[in-house]
Amino acid sequence: MKTNKKKIWIGCGILCVLSVLLSSWYAVAYNDSRLVVSMDFKDYVFDIKDLPMIVSVSFTCAYLVALFVMLFIHAGKKQRQAVETGVTRKINPKLGCLGVLGFLGFAGFWTYPVDGIVFPFAFFLFFGFFGFYYEGKMSGTFMDERFRENIARAKLKAYRITFGVMLAALIILCQGKLFGNLEYTLIAAIIILSLALGLGIFLSEYLLYRYDHDDQAEEGEE
Amino acid sequence: MAEFECRLKKYRQMKDLTQEQLAEKVGVRRETIMRLEKAQYNPSLKLAIDISRAVEAPIEEIFVFK
Repeated sequence: MKTNKKKIWIGCGILCVLSVLLSSWYAVAYNDSRLVVSMDFKDYVFDIKDLPMIVSVSFTCAYLVALFVMLFIHAGKKQRQAVETGVTRKINPKLGCLGVLGFLGFAGFWTYPVDGIVFPFAFFLFFGFFGFYYEGKMSGTFMDERFRENIARAKLKAYRITFGVMLAALIILCQGKLFGNLEYTLIAAIIILSLALGLGIFLSEYLLYRYDHDDQAEEGEE
Repeated sequence: MAEFECRLKKYRQMKDLTQEQLAEKVGVRRETIMRLEKAQYNPSLKLAIDISRAVEAPIEEIFVFK
């Protein structure tokens, strides 16, 4: 992406955050905290003072949707470029740090007892982003037939391990209730499925790196 | 399983080509040529034909299955 375009997107993001902060301050100071604190929307009646909050939140939502669409299109374009040029896509190995987002999964242990919300457990999936580190290290590698074979080998092994883990976990969990509670069993299923999928994402990149790197190490020894 | 022998190194040296040059000619990485020469990788038919054309030797002379 061009630097100018990047700056525009970052600028819009900052504007959206600022507008939400400003409208929240306005709502708290002059509008009895309407739309800031949780309220019953069944009896909601529009007030002109709600307008800043509605506009800023709408713009932020539109920005987020546009950002995701743009990132999706950009990723697709890069993938097509990789196929056309026969070179792996260029990404920064530092993106592997995104794997830390996987720790957000532990938030589920807090949200479940408080609000009964279980979806944060699915964030364990993000541990798979540690694989970006290995993908970044192989950025710009020419994909000849042996490299493509290694990709297929790595993916096959990763999928086998992932499905093996999922199958074993589901068989064990389906034996009965965990600690005598069906909800705990379902939570355990969410956690295990998320971790297994994260493992699959990570392993396909890690194994590819290992296959390619081990070959080179052997060659270097001679 | 048939034993695989690769005489690529001999034919490459006869043509005075480095691994890098041969790799570039046939559109693969140098590491792939290395693996081929050590008979640790079975090439596709296309790559085998490309190599045989690049070193100007028949395929059955370069890749031998005993």
